Amino acid sequence: MIAFRAKSISFSYDVNRVVEDVTLSLTESEFVGIIGPNGAGKSTMLRLMCGILKPAAGEIELFGAELSGQPQRKVAQRVAFVPQETHFALNFAVEEVVMTGRYPYQRPFAREKKEDFEAVNNAINVAAVDDLRKRPVNSLSSGERQRVVIARALAQSPQMLLLDEPTSHLDLHHQCAIMELLKKLNTRGLTVVVVHHDLNLASLYCQRLVLMHRGRVKATGTPHELIKQKILKEVYETEVLVMEHPDKGVPQVFLRSG
Amino acid sequence: MTKTALITIIFLAAVVIGILVGPTPLDAQIMQLRVWRVILGIFAGGVLAFCGCLLQGLFGNPLVEPYTLGSASGAALGASVGILVFGAISPVLAFLGSLGVGFFVYTIARIEGGLLRDRLILAGVVMSFLCSSLVMIIMVMGGRELYEILYLLMGYLGIIINDSNRLMIIALIIIALGLVAFLYRFHRELDIISQGTETAAGLGINIQFFSLIVFFSTTLLIGLVVSLVGAIGFVGLIIPHVSKLLFGPKHRFNLGASFILGATFLLLADTLSRIITVYELPVGVVTSLVGVPFFIYLYKR
Repeated sequence: MIAFRAKSISFSYDVNRVVEDVTLSLTESEFVGIIGPNGAGKSTMLRLMCGILKPAAGEIELFGAELSGQPQRKVAQRVAFVPQETHFALNFAVEEVVMTGRYPYQRPFAREKKEDFEAVNNAINVAAVDDLRKRPVNSLSSGERQRVVIARALAQSPQMLLLDEPTSHLDLHHQCAIMELLKKLNTRGLTVVVVHHDLNLASLYCQRLVLMHRGRVKATGTPHELIKQKILKEVYETEVLVMEHPDKGVPQVFLRSG
Repeated sequence: MTKTALITIIFLAAVVIGILVGPTPLDAQIMQLRVWRVILGIFAGGVLAFCGCLLQGLFGNPLVEPYTLGSASGAALGASVGILVFGAISPVLAFLGSLGVGFFVYTIARIEGGLLRDRLILAGVVMSFLCSSLVMIIMVMGGRELYEILYLLMGYLGIIINDSNRLMIIALIIIALGLVAFLYRFHRELDIISQGTETAAGLGINIQFFSLIVFFSTTLLIGLVVSLVGAIGFVGLIIPHVSKLLFGPKHRFNLGASFILGATFLLLADTLSRIITVYELPVGVVTSLVGVPFFIYLYKR
């Protein structure tokens, strides 16, 4: 089944076209990486996909239903968005943060229901933050905090999870842990879309890549089809070397300069 | 929930003290005056602290208070004009001043597709300065009325309630409390907005619209408070912090606790203002004088 479909969508901040005439469709349970240089429109694309931004032109369908007609609460029951970095102005306990992911299901004045607590427990469990549940969120390391934010997204019981550079501030251990968590979620049937700067991580974990350049989708394909010297050189304007990963066989990128 | 019980008991004690304690012996007439003072104190202190909590939550800024957005200065300006023109405090003019400045701040802050939320603060602060200057001009021109304007600027709960204004004041208080109850429903939205506007937008909160509702509701509420009892400072800034220190960051508890704590604090400050010197001090002087050391103690603990 088609999880997401965009038909020639465009978006601009002021006069700058950031996303231009993008057509893209994702099937359910796919693990997709959006890659491309800075300013290629990756993050904007992600925000268009979850309804935070509205396209100036074109149409978006989510799980067969037109996105533009739906209230954002309804969209949030299907699609969860994890921003690049979350700043917590108030020092909530971890489980309180995860509970806010239930907002799309809650009515004003009403108390949390049994389903809410179940979803929160489940999310905390899957994201493996059980040990942290009573901890104040600002006492956590960035890696732990990222897991909590993913748990909050999971509490939305989404069918599709969108993440904006989820590993960009993390050390090797936490990078790996986050990507393994996403892989686990994906094998359980969740559609995962990750905006990535790290081409090697993207190549290791994503089944399909979407390469964006100057607001357009330049190409889509498996890591083998896309991570190629010629394509990367053209898009990133940098000399690179592409070699196979010794264990996994997927392409990995090395810088030529220096 | 022993903390809830504790602040409720302290609140009730403050009500009793507010009615019983004062420089003059209690008789039926004094009693009636004091009861009104207590009602106004609960209303003003509660609403100010509640609005402070709401705005600090919305803007994610611990320094924002009800007066940051300019409506209180607008009310002070309106009331000062009333004193100059009619020789008496005019709640209607004060209220109009507050709403007028509120609308003006909104017009300055408004921008197509922009972040209304952040622009409101700067627009509010700028307008506050303008209103303060205008009030100063009126004070210089007023001469004789200086004293009355001073009380208005510092706040005073002892307004004379008589047959002509009693019904209006009761109606205003009921409207304000209704609005407070309505705004309480947004406790979850505030919790989420503190985690970033993108997170909030992703979960289905329309931040522009939400900011507008909160901005105009608080403008209305602050306009009501200042037009009745003057611009009592400090309560709206500090009480939400005290509430957070006691009850943690969740707005479900904080909004309610801020109301009760604000009411308690203002009642005690008003009682002090009556007995501390021979002359009755403006209550706004006492809130800062007593509140600052108390807050430093809590904050350092």
